[in-house]
Amino acid sequence: MAARVVRTLVIALAGAAVGLLWNALSGRGFALGQSVLVQAGDELVEAPAAKALLDRGALFLDARPRDFWKVSRIKGALSLPEDDFDRAFADLEPRLRRAGGVVVYCSGYGCEASHVVARRLRERGILAAILDEGIPAWQDAGYVLEPGSPR
Amino acid sequence: MTGLLANPRVQAALRLILGGFFVYASLDKIASPAAFAKIVYQWQVTGPVASNLVAVTLPWIELLAGLLLVAGAWRHEAAAVIGALLVVFLLAAASVMARGLDVENCGCVSLARTAAASAWPPAWMKGVGWFLVARNLVLLGAAAALTFVPPRCATATPPSAPGA
Repeated sequence: MAARVVRTLVIALAGAAVGLLWNALSGRGFALGQSVLVQAGDELVEAPAAKALLDRGALFLDARPRDFWKVSRIKGALSLPEDDFDRAFADLEPRLRRAGGVVVYCSGYGCEASHVVARRLRERGILAAILDEGIPAWQDAGYVLEPGSPR
Repeated sequence: MTGLLANPRVQAALRLILGGFFVYASLDKIASPAAFAKIVYQWQVTGPVASNLVAVTLPWIELLAGLLLVAGAWRHEAAAVIGALLVVFLLAAASVMARGLDVENCGCVSLARTAAASAWPPAWMKGVGWFLVARNLVLLGAAAALTFVPPRCATATPPSAPGA
């Protein structure tokens, strides 16, 4: 019985060890110590700091599909969906270039849309911070969403 | 039922199906660990760093246990490892469903993010939902049989002739 338990643990530990080695040596690996969504150049901002930016007039962008923005959003946020970026950016570009600050958010956790949108804005010369963990972090910090228009 | 599960041919079939499934399920994750880490994070069971660790270690445990099962080496232990993984997957799926989270692709086999509505497999087979729970329960049954039911000896003693 004890031998079986040892062999079971050997399988699990050997698999885990090979996985860690593969991640370190294969060239396909990634940094384990930070969110896999974060890349060099990404500027993350926590919910309280984002709220302070909002209060100072920063422009908030909702990177989720537009149907989600229509249901609810952070107060005053405009829709700049990842999946319709070029068209929406063309409409918003003058406002974005005038804005004193830009913060992008999406639905949080595994949501990558805010990171993608912030990078595309950066490519066009517009610096945008990313709300870390998105809407769940915003709500966990005690801030509310406003209902969208039924358009 | 136990007699059927102890049949060597049934046990061999269970080993090949269960082991083959886990070997296949590990390949896409090993090829794209960062993409798998994003999916693990979407389950919201672990934080970002723990999700990374799960993403780089879990597929190799699946591969090793699956290969051992297919090869028939350490089969009780390999089945026990797979059974333990399935219990964890079921608990995590229950947590996701109880919280009403929408995980579009469970990351169980393929990591493809989006597909056309008509594509195979359909969304209800890829997401975290009742299909995933049912499939994992079936796989868990197979893993339990391989872990706890010893195969019946294939060689039977022929009846001795009278007077021999």
